[in-house]
Amino acid sequence: MKKDNYRFLDVIQETACAEFGSALEMLAACKSSNKESLAYGYFEHSKDEYFHTSTFLSLLSKAGRKYPAVIARKFRINANSLITKGYVSSEGYLIEKMPLKDFIAYVYTNELLAKQSFEKIFELVKKDEKDANQILKIMKDELRHHGMAEKYFLKYYPRLQPWQLKMYRIRETIKNKGRKFYDKNLKFLDQVLKPLYFFMAYLASRIILLIDINGFKREGINLMEIKPKSII
Amino acid sequence: MYLGLTGYNHESSAALVDKEGKLINYYREEVLSRIKGDKSFPKRSIKKILEFHNLTKSDIKSIAFYERPLTAFLTPLQVAAFNIPQSLPLISHQCRNFDKSSISCFLDLSKEFSGLEEKLIYLDHHLSHTLTALPYSQIQENLCSIVVDGFGDRSSTSICKVNDVYNINELWSCEYPVSLGLFYSAITDFLGFQVNEGEYKVMGLAAFGKKDSAVAKKVSDLIYWDHKNKKIISDMSYFKYHISPTDSFNNKLINLLGDPRNPFLSLLPEDDNFQHFADIAKGAQDKISEILCEIFKYAYSITRCKNFLFSGGVASNSAAISKIAELPFVDQIIVPPSPGDAGCSIGASYYAYLKNQKNLISNLPTPSIYPSRFNSNDQKLISKQIIASNFKLISSNSNDAIAKIVSLIKNGEIIGTVLNNAETGPRALGNRSLICDGLNKKAVKTLNTVIKNRSPFRPTAPCMKLSTAKKYYELRPELLGCYKYMNATCKCIDGSISNNFPTTHVDGTVRLQIIENDQILYKILTYLEKDNIDILANSSLNISGDPTSFDLIDGLMICSLRPLKYIFTDFGLLESLF
Ligand SMILES: [Fe+2]
Ligand SMILES: [Fe+2]
Ligand SMILES: [Fe+2]
Repeated sequence: MKKDNYRFLDVIQETACAEFGSALEMLAACKSSNKESLAYGYFEHSKDEYFHTSTFLSLLSKAGRKYPAVIARKFRINANSLITKGYVSSEGYLIEKMPLKDFIAYVYTNELLAKQSFEKIFELVKKDEKDANQILKIMKDELRHHGMAEKYFLKYYPRLQPWQLKMYRIRETIKNKGRKFYDKNLKFLDQVLKPLYFFMAYLASRIILLIDINGFKREGINLMEIKPKSII
Repeated sequence: MYLGLTGYNHESSAALVDKEGKLINYYREEVLSRIKGDKSFPKRSIKKILEFHNLTKSDIKSIAFYERPLTAFLTPLQVAAFNIPQSLPLISHQCRNFDKSSISCFLDLSKEFSGLEEKLIYLDHHLSHTLTALPYSQIQENLCSIVVDGFGDRSSTSICKVNDVYNINELWSCEYPVSLGLFYSAITDFLGFQVNEGEYKVMGLAAFGKKDSAVAKKVSDLIYWDHKNKKIISDMSYFKYHISPTDSFNNKLINLLGDPRNPFLSLLPEDDNFQHFADIAKGAQDKISEILCEIFKYAYSITRCKNFLFSGGVASNSAAISKIAELPFVDQIIVPPSPGDAGCSIGASYYAYLKNQKNLISNLPTPSIYPSRFNSNDQKLISKQIIASNFKLISSNSNDAIAKIVSLIKNGEIIGTVLNNAETGPRALGNRSLICDGLNKKAVKTLNTVIKNRSPFRPTAPCMKLSTAKKYYELRPELLGCYKYMNATCKCIDGSISNNFPTTHVDGTVRLQIIENDQILYKILTYLEKDNIDILANSSLNISGDPTSFDLIDGLMICSLRPLKYIFTDFGLLESLF
């Protein structure tokens, strides 16, 4: 049973990160808009995602409180982990990397996928009426975002037909499934390769010990005089 | 033009110094990415700087990076290599994340800003800190620079004699993994707060602790100053930060101090374990202050300098600074507004500047308090509908807006500001602030807990004119420069009513800001004084855990997320209808 509950903490933590990532993506989209109505739309969307984030943070906090400190500590959220966990790409926000058209299609698809994943979370929290209602509200928001993205898409790219949006959706769904599959495999592979990594780390440590880092010492040296091109 | 950069191992940022040696722009990557403590290559900051000043790559003469990448990579690895097999996870992690280490700066520059990488130079990490602090000092020769941080590219503490801007000689250093900064961070982590973010909370919590408690003494014994050999000794068997990629302390520390704090549990003075954790914080805080005093004493003995530059992450410990200032030989302590690693791009950009001058420079000009350039007009169009739908423009005329703000503050309201250029951070000094009547208990409490969602045991800083500060607080002449940037605490005068002000901490101290007459808060206070309000509470415009707001959209977003009703912008005073 306990193991199941770690899974709950894990799901809530990951979802909080995903929602936080969306809030930041939408905020970035708002700031890079060139139309006031689009900026307004993304502002409102970002605001919703911030609220979703805080809902999940409260759920996390409520659940985490029941655990011994040594376990609960592992589920703290650190903003930098949005990048390390891949919720925000280290290359930049989506709007910084893709054309607006693709971005809108991406939002259109992902909001629907988000709604679907909340259905699973709903099952996990449904015993608590208050929590369940919050998740239901979030699901409604995600559907609304999905609809809004569709509206924008057809408004700004009227020559594109709804079937083309469907194509985007299928593509993104496959990509999303692929991402999850890849992530799962990566974690598995990581476990399998651990002994090899450690062996290589051991070899590396032998080499590192041979390096004389006394050259890094600076006592009695004018720091302004050290070669500016030197990386040591 | 000269660029300075930080990133990878610590918070990333970029700074720009012009050909006259003036700091003309500075961005922390986190305020642009909105990811607190963002360490990624400062792509957005560089891009924004180039765009803001309309610069082409050829306008940039030189770019300096704030540490020596190979040293920064190898030093912790070598320490870990001495601790095999426990350190295998760390070594494996570091080697696999080689591309995320600062060695990649060259590659990232060539990928994102091709051509600029050829202009890249490097300087020692602690020199970056020293050069960041130096321009904030009026005296720029015959000084002693003390840098204390977690870890840079080599050491964690160092003492330098600054003969002049070209002669900065290192005289003593404390080598990693012994580190005051990482010791304090490990305790921060133990207390359930986020490393590199929660250290302020530990400092606030320490004021509730008992110095003579058993647990405070245990913490205190973990690290000490060896008087004979003039070095810091740390019992590393309690810590793991030098052998693990994820943990900062081990079971031995848990056996010594008891269970760490569950980060999700509340921490209020009435809570069960509050005193225990406050005592732990007290042990760490007192120890830091004590060792810092020893380092300053030793620095004085080897340099005979009475004027000090103090920087590095540990220099953010405003409570310790006031203790150091009491040392009899100290004439002056200068702490830059951004003493941590994010500030180092400022020092790096000065280094690039100094290395490219034909004529010798004797003085670096003092940087502005608000060097982070922002033009509201850039967001005029995109904020139009957001404002029209959710805000009411109360006044677009600046003087009229100030008059309205004064009357709102008198009525206990809280005002957010997003005005013109921004502070370097981490402290908000008026242009990206939340302000209210500093004598109104209810308003200060609302600002702290309802709007900012901060831990209630952390005090809010008061902001006032020098003449007011003299009335209520025991100002130290050595720290007058620090008060400008909220860098040091000071005590309330015995028996003064200031002991009961809502901005006064439980130990009778405040982390005050003294404002000058060219600052907007000065103007507001001048009006408020007619109604006997001579102190404003001033906190950064953000929600706890987020970076401080930078642009107009960030400010409007806070109004939409929290019950903040008024925001003062370059377009006027807005009332939120959310
Ligand atoms: Fe969401
Ligand atoms: Fe959504
Ligand atoms: Fe540092």
